[in-house]
Amino acid sequence: MKSKSKNNNQLLMTLLKGRTFIVLIVLVIFFSFASKSFLSLTTLTMVAKHVALYGILALGMTFVIITGGIDLSVGSVVGLVGMLAGGLIQEGLTIGSKTIYFSVPLIIIFMLLFGCLVGLINGLIVTKLKVAPFIATLGTMYICRGFANLRSGGATFSNIKGYEGLGNTGFKVLGSNFLGIPAGVFIFAILAIIAAILLKKVPFGWYVLAVGGNEKSARLSGIKADKVKIIVYIISAFCAAWVGMINTAQLSAAHPASGDGWEMNAIAATVLGGTSMAGGSGTIIGTIVGAFVIGVINDGMTMCGVSEFWQKVIRGCVIILAVVIDQTQRNLQAKMALQARNENK
Amino acid sequence: MMKKLVVGLLTAAMVSSMACGAVMADDASAELLPGGGTKILYCITPSTSNPFFGTEQVIAEKVGEELGYEVKCFSHDDDAAAQLELFEAAITDKAAAIICDNAGADASIEAIQKAYDAGIPTFLIDREINQTGLAISQIVADNAQGAAAIAEVWVEAMDYAGKYAELLGLESDTNCHVRSENYHSVIDEYPDLEMVAQQSANWDQTEAYEKTEAILQANPEITGIICGNDTMACGAVQACTDAGRDDIKVIGLDGSDDAAAYIKSGEMVGTALQQIALITETAVREADAYLNGTAPEEEKQLVPCIAITADNVDNLSQFVYTEPAA
Repeated sequence: MKSKSKNNNQLLMTLLKGRTFIVLIVLVIFFSFASKSFLSLTTLTMVAKHVALYGILALGMTFVIITGGIDLSVGSVVGLVGMLAGGLIQEGLTIGSKTIYFSVPLIIIFMLLFGCLVGLINGLIVTKLKVAPFIATLGTMYICRGFANLRSGGATFSNIKGYEGLGNTGFKVLGSNFLGIPAGVFIFAILAIIAAILLKKVPFGWYVLAVGGNEKSARLSGIKADKVKIIVYIISAFCAAWVGMINTAQLSAAHPASGDGWEMNAIAATVLGGTSMAGGSGTIIGTIVGAFVIGVINDGMTMCGVSEFWQKVIRGCVIILAVVIDQTQRNLQAKMALQARNENK
Repeated sequence: MMKKLVVGLLTAAMVSSMACGAVMADDASAELLPGGGTKILYCITPSTSNPFFGTEQVIAEKVGEELGYEVKCFSHDDDAAAQLELFEAAITDKAAAIICDNAGADASIEAIQKAYDAGIPTFLIDREINQTGLAISQIVADNAQGAAAIAEVWVEAMDYAGKYAELLGLESDTNCHVRSENYHSVIDEYPDLEMVAQQSANWDQTEAYEKTEAILQANPEITGIICGNDTMACGAVQACTDAGRDDIKVIGLDGSDDAAAYIKSGEMVGTALQQIALITETAVREADAYLNGTAPEEEKQLVPCIAITADNVDNLSQFVYTEPAA
C-alpha cells in the first residue's frame, strides 16, 4: 500500500519535473491544429529566431536569478548597444577633428566589451555599495535608456549597411540566415552550450548555486561571493549586448526604444524554466524550454489572429500556473524526502 | 463664483464668435488675456526623445525668436504633474504666452486654467483637451483625413483587390482607433480588398517586425500591410524584405524621415505627414497676433495631413513639407 503511493508520487515527480517540456509539446500540437501553417520548418525557424532574442537574455538572467539577484537593466542595454553599434557604423567615432570608422568585427568586440562594462558596474553597485539588485539594476536601466536616447536625440539610425569605401559593411550578417537558419539562433545555441557548461561542469557553476542557496555558508566555505556575483551580472549584460546587435542587424535600424520591457520576457522564461526567484536552483535547459514556451505562445496566437489583449492575459496565466506547479513540486519533493527518511528508520 | 461667471461668459463669447466671426472681432479683443508682461514664450512638449516633439521645440524657438520673443522649451514627459509645475514656473516667470503639446486631455485642464487665471494665454498644439473656451486655440493634425488620404493611395497601389493585414498601434490610444477607422472608411468601400489579419504591435519596430513575420507565415497570400504609424511600417518593410516579399504594399502614418527613405527606395508605398512644423508655427504666430490684440477666429483648428508618395517624397525633410516650385 505504502509502496504504491510512493510509486505514484515518483511518477508524479517525473511528470512535474518535465512539466515545461510537456506544456511546450501540448502547445505545439494545439497550434498545429489551430493554424494550418504552424507545423512547418519555416514557422519553427521563425519561432526560434524570435525566441533567440529574449532566450539569450534569459540565459544571462538565469545566472543572476540563481544567485538570488535580478537584472532589470538588460532591456535598456539592448537598446543602448543597438544605438552605439548603429552610430559607430553610420557616423564613426569622432575624436577632435578626426573621425574613425571601425570594421564590423571590431565593432562587435567593442559592443561585447561595453556590455561587460555595464555588467561590471551593476555588479559593483550590488556588491561593493550594497544596493539591492532590484534597485541597482532599476537605476542602470534608466541610465542606459537615457543614454540610448541621448546618442541620437531620439532619432533612429536607419538603413545600417555600412559603406564600402569605409570598409565597415557586413553588420547585417548578424541578422541573416546561414543554411536556412538565422544567425541569432546559432548564437543562441552556442551561448546556451557555454552557459550550460559554465553552470554544471566547472567549479564556477557550483559557486553560483552555492551563493544563491546560502550565501553565508558559501562565504564560510571559502567562496568569494562578491566576485561570483559581479561575474553573473557581467554574463547577463554580455548576453544583452549580443541581443542588442542581433536585433539591430535584423531591423537594419537602431531605435532608442528597442528592448523596452524585454527584461520581463527574460525573467518570465527563466521562471518558467524552473529557476527559483529565491535563488539556489535552476538549469539552462529549463530556461531554454521556458523561452520556447513563451515564443510558441506569442507566435502561435499571432498566427491564429488572437488579439494582443488576450495574448497578455494568457501569457500571465501561464507564468502564474508554472510557478504554482513549481511550488507543488518542491512540497512533494520535501514530502518524499521525509518519507524516505522515516522508512530508513 | 466670480471665476465661474467669467469662464461662463467667456465660453459664451467664444461660442457666439464662432457663429458670427466677423462681427465678434472687436468684441473679443475686449476680453483678451493680457499675458504675463514679459516677452517670454514657454514651449512645453512631451519628451523630445521623439523627433516629432523635438521638431515642435525647434520650430517654436525659431519662429518665436523671429518675432522678437525669448523662447524657453521644456518637456513634461507625459506627466500631468510635471506639466503643472512647468505652467506654474511660466506664471512665476511672467511669461507672455504658453505653447503646449499637453500631457492628457483631462489632466491638463487644471494647468491651463491656472495660466488663464494668471492672465497668460495658452495655445495647444498636436493634442486637444476635453474643454473649450480655456485655451485660445487648439491646433491639431487631421489624423482622420490623413489616414483616409494615404489609404486612397494604397487602394490604388493594390489595384483595388487582394488580401491584406493591419498592424495597429497601442490599442488603448485614441489615435490608434482614429487612424484604423479612417483607413477602413476608405478600404472597406472595395469588396475585393479583404483583411485577413489584424494585430497590435504597440507602435514598436521590433514587435512589428516579428508580428509581420508571423502573419506572413500564416497568411502568405497577403499583398498589402497597413500600419498605424511609420515606426511599425519600417519594421514591416524589413520583415517583408527579409522574407523576399517585395510585392507587399506597405503604408504608414507620421511622415518620418525613416519612412521617407523607404518610400524613396520603393520599398514602401507612402505615409501621411502630420505637418507638426506648420502647426507649431501657426500657434506661435497666433500667440503673437493675440498679444497684439487679434484673437484667432476659431479655437479648434485642423491642419490637413499630406499624403507622401514616391512622387513628392523629395519635398519632405524633418516633418517639414516644402511645396515644390511650380
